[in-house]
Amino acid sequence: MRANVWSGRNTVQVENVPDPKILNDRDAIVKITSTAICGSDLHLYDGYVPTMERGDILGHEFMGEVVEVGKGVGKLHVGDRVVVPFPIACGDCWACRHELYSVCENSNPNAGMAEKMFGHSTAGIFGYSHLTGGYAGGQAEYARVPFADVGPIKIEDDLPDEQVLFLSDIFPTGYMGAEFCEIQGGEVIAVFGAGPVGQFAIASAVMLGAERIIAIDQYAYRLDMARNKAGATDVINFAEDPDIVEQLKELTGGRGPDAVIDAVGMEAAHGHGVVHAVDRVKQAARSESDRGHALRDAILACRPGGIVSVIGVYGGLLDKFPSGAFMNKGLTMKSGQCHVQRYLAPLYEHIRNGDIDPSFVVTHRLPLGEAPNGYETFKHKQDECVKVVLKP
Amino acid sequence: MKLHAAITVLRPRDEVQRLWQDPALHPRYLDEIDARVTFDPAPGDRGTEIHVTLEHDAPGGKVGKAVAKVRGAMPRAKAMDELRRFKQRVETGVIVRSDGSPEGERAERKLDQRPAQPLHENELAEAGAS
Ligand SMILES: NC(=O)c1ccc[n+]([C@@H]2O[C@H](COP(=O)([O-])OP(=O)(O)OC[C@H]3O[C@@H](n4cnc5c(N)ncnc54)[C@H](O)[C@@H]3O)[C@@H](O)[C@H]2O)c1
Ligand SMILES: [Zn+2]
Ligand SMILES: [Zn+2]
Repeated sequence: MRANVWSGRNTVQVENVPDPKILNDRDAIVKITSTAICGSDLHLYDGYVPTMERGDILGHEFMGEVVEVGKGVGKLHVGDRVVVPFPIACGDCWACRHELYSVCENSNPNAGMAEKMFGHSTAGIFGYSHLTGGYAGGQAEYARVPFADVGPIKIEDDLPDEQVLFLSDIFPTGYMGAEFCEIQGGEVIAVFGAGPVGQFAIASAVMLGAERIIAIDQYAYRLDMARNKAGATDVINFAEDPDIVEQLKELTGGRGPDAVIDAVGMEAAHGHGVVHAVDRVKQAARSESDRGHALRDAILACRPGGIVSVIGVYGGLLDKFPSGAFMNKGLTMKSGQCHVQRYLAPLYEHIRNGDIDPSFVVTHRLPLGEAPNGYETFKHKQDECVKVVLKP
Repeated sequence: MKLHAAITVLRPRDEVQRLWQDPALHPRYLDEIDARVTFDPAPGDRGTEIHVTLEHDAPGGKVGKAVAKVRGAMPRAKAMDELRRFKQRVETGVIVRSDGSPEGERAERKLDQRPAQPLHENELAEAGAS
């Protein structure tokens, strides 16, 4: 089959590779009909995540048709149309039983590696380095899906791929980020990053009843989408004025947002002079430093007693963490790779009811063979790119 | 030198102890290296803790130790592999395999990952996955 593989920093290429096979009884094979490029893929592409190997098939946002099932798969059948969640979860361990799917205790066969980095292992993830298992990803014609009874959700109606594809990751991720904010009604929520994840965090905060939602980014076209499609009430373009914290105070009568969502992660841009320069040098030297402007500003901006929701991905260590602000203001931080399986059924229901049409983020549709162009366009935010969908 | 390895399995203690003796599941490597194994109930609903104490680590003195360490074949790492496989098989019924680690968790694989792309036919049997 053809698949998009990582072949070094800033390089992906579409190659012929063997077709996936069932490796144990709980696997299924899915023929992929749509697959997307995610901001998380950019961290791999840019070389900020260790344990990548040349030839790794990328991609963790995919859907398609079941073409083969192992003997131990009961719920899925050949011919079923499914969306596959990006974390691989066994459904049987203590974490899975408590709906903490992205920290499944069994699904990472490189747990020893992850323990060295993070103290503990986390779940396996499709196409996302060897630290999270070394699983082939879904930017391909076919994928092997382990624990096929636990992850994939069956799509029973004729909604087009683009309306349900993002159940695999970014819609649940944005939703979890908003849910972390404990919205009761009347809150002001600030969302750092108006990429696809930020867009869904905003749309979810609207669904959960926030009163005002402030989107923050450096690209006007993304902020336009945040306001016109996702439902942000205010926007801050930090390319025009870099003092995000001050602007957030101004917009909230000095209080600060009740909760802040970091939908940016370890490759944050800008920030304030010196600290940014230090981050850049350390990252360039590969001394495991995450670039933390969004998270730092989020903590500084959040109102005392508020919540900091971190769904942007971090990989290593962060310098200049504002621990004083975090502690003295009595903030609560919540984070994680999304527990996608937890949100599939309710969010699918929202899509079916017409509460949301997730396809609003799609700006680029390309054949799989053009994945390398897709990565470049998405990385450099060219051509007003927000989300790229690939067709195998 | 004493080394410790531990894992928690989501099953009651009597069941874990019984399955531990099941020849199909029993981690033989731990017998080979003369490990001491104890089973304790974990708090609340958390299952059973398996504690393994290794009385000696690498055989062959300093040099052997260094060699074993470089090759990622430290007894503790291998003991953890066995514990993880036992937990996987008890909790999920399968050994968890990926393209990078097709045999499942193995200390020796840590430094020698396959690329994350599907296996060729001839590799399947070798990995015990066909
Ligand atoms: N937690 C999860 O489960 C999960 C799932 C998917 C993606 N993610 C992560 O979410 C993050 C965003 O993903 P995406 O697909 O939207 O990526 P993206 O690159 O399209 O979006 C990131 C946006 O952040 C903006 N930005 C950069 N620096 C900023 C700053 N200092 N302040 C505010 N905005 C800033 C960029 O201009 C860009 O528009 C990534 O880190 C990705 O890895 C997490
Ligand atoms: Zn993603
Ligand atoms: Zn699990």
